[in-house]
Amino acid sequence: MSFPLGQLLFFLTVCSVVFTVICYYLGNKKPDSNNIKWLKRFNISFYITTAIVLIFCYVLFYGIKASATPTVVYLGENLTPKNLGQFFIILAFASALFSTISYFLATIKTNQFELKWLWMGRIGYFVNSISVVGIGTCLFYIIYNHLFEYHYAWEHSSRTLPVYYIISSFWEGQEGSFWLWGFWQAVLGNILIWKAKSWEKPVLTVIALAQTLLSSMLLGIDIFGQRIGSSPFILLREALEAPIFSRPEYLSFIKDGNGLNPLLQNYWMVIHPPTLFLGFASMVVPFAYAIAGLWTKRYKEWVQPAISYSLFAVMVLGTGVIMGSLWAYESLNFGGFWAWDPVENAALIPWLTLIGAVHVLIVYKNTGHSYFTATFLTLISFILVLYASFLTRSGILGDTSVHAFTDLGMFWHLVIDVAIFFGIALALIILRWKELPISKKEEETYSREFWMFVGAVFLALSCLQLIVVTSIPVWNAMFKTHIAPPTNPVTLYNVFQAGFAVVVTLLAGITQFLKYKKTDTTRFFITSVIYLVFSAVITGLIVYITGLYHLRFVFVLVMFGAIYSLMANAKVLADVFKGKIKLAGSAVAHIGFGLIMVGALIAAGTSKVISQNDTLEYGADFAKGNNPHENIMLYKNEPQKMGDYMVTYFGDSVKAPNHYFKVDYKRLDANGKVVEEFTLKPNSQANRKMGLVSSPDTKHYLFHDLYTHVSMAPIKYDDEMQGDAGHGEENDDANYNPPVPHEVKVGDTIPFREGYIILQSLNKEAHVQNIPMGANDVAVGAELKIISHGKTYDAEPVFMVKNGSVFDFARKVDDAGLKLRLSKIIPDKSKVEITVYDQPESKKAYIVMRAIEFPYINFLWTGTIIMVIGFLLSIFRRNKELKSA
Amino acid sequence: MKKSSIFGIIVIAIAIAVIISTYGSSSTYGSFTEAKQSQSDLHVIGYLDKQKELYYDAHKDANYFSFYMKDKKGTESKVVFTGTKPQDFERSEQIVLVGRMVGNEFHASHIQMKCPSKYTQDKVEVTEADAKQGSI
Repeated sequence: MSFPLGQLLFFLTVCSVVFTVICYYLGNKKPDSNNIKWLKRFNISFYITTAIVLIFCYVLFYGIKASATPTVVYLGENLTPKNLGQFFIILAFASALFSTISYFLATIKTNQFELKWLWMGRIGYFVNSISVVGIGTCLFYIIYNHLFEYHYAWEHSSRTLPVYYIISSFWEGQEGSFWLWGFWQAVLGNILIWKAKSWEKPVLTVIALAQTLLSSMLLGIDIFGQRIGSSPFILLREALEAPIFSRPEYLSFIKDGNGLNPLLQNYWMVIHPPTLFLGFASMVVPFAYAIAGLWTKRYKEWVQPAISYSLFAVMVLGTGVIMGSLWAYESLNFGGFWAWDPVENAALIPWLTLIGAVHVLIVYKNTGHSYFTATFLTLISFILVLYASFLTRSGILGDTSVHAFTDLGMFWHLVIDVAIFFGIALALIILRWKELPISKKEEETYSREFWMFVGAVFLALSCLQLIVVTSIPVWNAMFKTHIAPPTNPVTLYNVFQAGFAVVVTLLAGITQFLKYKKTDTTRFFITSVIYLVFSAVITGLIVYITGLYHLRFVFVLVMFGAIYSLMANAKVLADVFKGKIKLAGSAVAHIGFGLIMVGALIAAGTSKVISQNDTLEYGADFAKGNNPHENIMLYKNEPQKMGDYMVTYFGDSVKAPNHYFKVDYKRLDANGKVVEEFTLKPNSQANRKMGLVSSPDTKHYLFHDLYTHVSMAPIKYDDEMQGDAGHGEENDDANYNPPVPHEVKVGDTIPFREGYIILQSLNKEAHVQNIPMGANDVAVGAELKIISHGKTYDAEPVFMVKNGSVFDFARKVDDAGLKLRLSKIIPDKSKVEITVYDQPESKKAYIVMRAIEFPYINFLWTGTIIMVIGFLLSIFRRNKELKSA
Repeated sequence: MKKSSIFGIIVIAIAIAVIISTYGSSSTYGSFTEAKQSQSDLHVIGYLDKQKELYYDAHKDANYFSFYMKDKKGTESKVVFTGTKPQDFERSEQIVLVGRMVGNEFHASHIQMKCPSKYTQDKVEVTEADAKQGSI
């Protein structure tokens, strides 16, 4: 496309926008006879403008493509999904924008086309939803069919990837995860069009705006030299620069993609991202209701529906976060389930504020107090979701997180996204400040609403601490400072968050004994003190049994708080069976939360590295500095004591690209008798891109887990795994100690460093594969039995005389580290000579591994399930209230 | 005084405490020379001296890895890490250490390294290793 056409279109766009605005202004200026005329003109020019903008975008995109394409005609590229996908992206963006404007005009009731605009808004949103599905289909087609001419497919998948992991590679990249977010937002928008009734217009205006901004992240078009968004349909030759791309047949050299990061090849990665992004996407709904309430001055009514949607959002986001930690626990090797990584914090931050918001929204609904706090927390939660996506996607975290996405040059785009919604929220609060139904009366001290409010504020404070510390790189960028993150961030987070958790968990218990408005003080004190004492006793017991008292005192206090909230909510749950069925949801959710705290606290606080290595090569000086020795070295087939266990690395199995190490665990009692025996198979992948990537294997018991992972092993790269058996024999002897010949008779025993060998018999009819035997040729095999570390192996080295020449064929027993030759036959002594090569320690197969015991971790997972059930019950209850209201 | 005012003051006090403690607990990027004078842990950024020996022998001690690093000011020091050698350490372009000086050796508790990507030009990959399991 030639450049003047682009300029012409741009000119047309500007003119039509200006004309539309003028029409709108004149149409609403004052009621006279021209009024309707101008509004009709506005209507028409609006459609025309939309059409021109659409064409402009499309031409612009094609214009760039045309100018970027050199004269080379490339062979074998399938460009249909690109063209179709890019078309859907532009359509998605334009239709979302159209929907936003239409819904906006439908909401401000200044003209009689209200209903028409409503339908325009709906149609825009439907078109957007269809386009989003279209984008997804095109992208899936590309990955599923291994179209490596596309950068996304090449970067994130490979031919060997099973179908279910193709789904994970779909959202490994930023573009795919933006799509996932947009998809869920499209689904939620459609549900709201169907369900929101009188709220549809303002709520959908906000959601369509959010959808517009999300779609813009995928645009990937250049406007005046500035790249806007990042498209998943970029071709490999457009994304990378290399001489190879000047050749028309370049595609025939690209045999396979980069593959999916081995750590993401886990079933949790199929299900965790969709859950997490549904959580993020659903955060927009309470935000939209709050904005709608302020905007249309329905200050009180928005609260009730927002409660249900907030409960849904925290339920899904909470589940997503815990799924992520289960994934980390099962397939990462940092040895735990939570590391306060910025990426983890980014998901936790909005969850905490929205949990706080749910509580104060309920307070407002029941008592009319805490209106501002409720509105503020609801609004800030979604803004923090956007802030979190800025943190993890803009590249600002830089060195402080190894898990953030790579920078796609969308820094300012993401900043603008946050700024737009922040601006809207701030402007509305300021504009409506005087009309807000903020109660002038103070809450009673002994009332549920006051302490729920306090709890919500403390949740917000704990969130503040997470934000302030996680955002250190942001402060550095803003204030041009050069502060390093804390040297031990985990401890810092743990201590602070524990402090807030004490208050929050205690309040989650105490408020259950309080009533709204006013409580009978005497009764409250009696019950709460009884439960406090009772909980203190139980806490003491738990702390004593688990050894939690070794930790800082604040963690003991958290345990106390968690137990107290468990007790208090168990009492409420007991009352449920006496007929107060309404309260079940909250009680169950709080019990779940209490269990999560108990499980996390014990598992993280008293986890024990049982592979502690006490053999110190480097003397006491080195050990004194509190240097941990958490890795243990295991030679193959040599049992070693590790804590209560006797562990043996006894075998390998290879299922490309994974190398599994079989480790046998025996638990012995005081008399040395084996009480229990099992095998764990941690695995590693030596990936060229990632290095050695290990995944742990864990033995699960009801009350503890035994976690094992390999931190180092001399294994082959995944692309070398096939077809190398039997090569490289020439220098093989260098891998062994000098040979030792032994003259032996049948039945004799040969000792070696790690066991002994018995010559069982001589096989006169031995033959060697592929070597035909002549009439005068002789082949003798020595049938050997090798006993090493309690295991028995067989080997048969062969001695051969063929055509007058002497050969011998050595046999290896790799597991015993031996090579054996039948090197001579001495007929007069009826003896044979067996030459034994044994491997020095340094050449033997070994693994370096780490094992950790996590006590009571199942409480954490059980608590999560219980909490989700509690949320579900609450959602049902609130929905019922909504209907009866 | 009203109850809400008292609560407000408490909240503001906690918020200020959070900010001050963050600033207080934050570390600094320093050099080996500064590390010698400092009693506490700090971050040192530098480059691996590829001329000198990288020592890791799992057969002797699976938890001892040592190497030589030059900091940004050019001072060189021996660095000891109690753990296994991170993969591809030789290829690292830049290293960030967290730790402290013990005698003439820098004992690192955390290593983060940047390696050039093997696949994509002009891209670096960041990996990290910890000597100790995170605990509370």
